Amino acid sequence: MANRFCVSLTHAKDNSDKATVAFVVANAALGSGKETLVFLSVEAVRLSQPGYADDIREEGFAPLRELMENFAKGGGTIYVCSPCFKKRKLDENRLVPGAAIVGGAKLVEFLSDGSPCVSY
Amino acid sequence: MGIQAEAVWDAGDTGCGELLLELRARLSGLRPGQVFELITRDLGAPADIPAWCRLTGHTLVSQEHPVYRIRRKES
Repeated sequence: MANRFCVSLTHAKDNSDKATVAFVVANAALGSGKETLVFLSVEAVRLSQPGYADDIREEGFAPLRELMENFAKGGGTIYVCSPCFKKRKLDENRLVPGAAIVGGAKLVEFLSDGSPCVSY
Repeated sequence: MGIQAEAVWDAGDTGCGELLLELRARLSGLRPGQVFELITRDLGAPADIPAWCRLTGHTLVSQEHPVYRIRRKES
């Protein structure tokens, strides 16, 4: 059984339901003892900016900001797709805790040991 | 009930990742062999908590939804 788990997320405010559930699942993996990565690409890279998730709250779930904070506090890693980030002209000097801007090789490296990956 | 729990957490209807991350933290505060009592009314818990125990190596001592007793693993 792989000891790693990846959640790939491509949505932010364009689909706050998917964005929220992605972090709920990531927290489930982290809480189950897996080395867990959330890979943010396309619109999801906006979640790397402090404050962006503050007003995302899906009924029946904890606020997204809280889910993301708990993920980072629990030792989860967030990779932010570099070209997606640059395209949107976001601020690389302001990233949420646990987040790092990376290229595709870092994602490939993480997955190369047989890590499963679910996508939202 | 038989087994005395060292700690009890009523998680309300919390489930899935929100529950498991907090559960991991609470179990880590116990000594190996001690029993933790979790109360959760989440509909997914009857399937999820046994799976979590299999993944983490903790022992599910009893399961009577919404009450779950979990023995912390040795290491």
